[in-house]
Amino acid sequence: MLHIYCPYCEEMREEEEFSYAGEAHIARPLDPESLTDAQWGDYVFFRTNPRGLHHEMWNHAAGCRRYFNVTRDTQTYVIHETYKMGEQPSVTGEKP
Amino acid sequence: MTSMQTPLHNITLPASVSDAGVVMREDKFRGHLNLRGNPQDAAFTDAVAQVLGVALPLAPNTSAEQGSTRIYWLCPNEWLLLVAEGTQGQVEADLRAALAHQHIAVTDLSSGQTLVNLSGAKLDELMMKSAVYDCHASNFPVGKVVQTTFAKAGATIYKCEDGSFDLVIRRSFSDYFFLWLKDASKEYGLSVI
Repeated sequence: MLHIYCPYCEEMREEEEFSYAGEAHIARPLDPESLTDAQWGDYVFFRTNPRGLHHEMWNHAAGCRRYFNVTRDTQTYVIHETYKMGEQPSVTGEKP
Repeated sequence: MTSMQTPLHNITLPASVSDAGVVMREDKFRGHLNLRGNPQDAAFTDAVAQVLGVALPLAPNTSAEQGSTRIYWLCPNEWLLLVAEGTQGQVEADLRAALAHQHIAVTDLSSGQTLVNLSGAKLDELMMKSAVYDCHASNFPVGKVVQTTFAKAGATIYKCEDGSFDLVIRRSFSDYFFLWLKDASKEYGLSVI
């Protein structure tokens, strides 16, 4: 079981209280009309599937019911950070 | 006038025991109101404090109490107000009047959930097997509010001054809640008052 820090409740909580909500930081296209079908399909259906760091959303379903972002390693399950909606990750795996 | 029934109206009481380790008492027909608004807006927080006579708790997992009114922090812009039986309509109207033209929501949840108090010598043991959250006194001081799960049902747990727990449970989960409680407290004895 994962122990996840909810940035809104400001506490570590059990995984049982949360539900996974997919990849984070996917911006809706501002002008969908101008997209090709391929571009729209990419936005709607296609997600990254990295081995390693992944920025994803979780919902504190049994708690405060807020969505927030998690940086998790898909290989080791280590959660590097959690941060509120609208914020940017500090752990990106890119070398400074 | 139709008579009111609590969500726990149809429960089958366990056989009475002389020294029950767990005691359940339902706080029937309390008024439950859900309030949403912007805590950064002083016009909102001041108006709510004026109506309720107590300031909204703004820190996570905290509560405030004033007479028969209790306020639970639910999330950064959402609170649960527990008010005396039958006063929820008036409190809702007062809040709407005080918060007119503000971006807020007040919702009466009184018939959708109920308040249950759990106490007794074996309360800690019961909470250990029922909740995934650590309800030990070292992690759960008096006045703290935690939304978590109780068995498989969602519950909002509050620690009372006397060391007992107040649980807000949903009407639709009340049968499940009580069946779980009856089963989990079988070894300690359960008394319903």
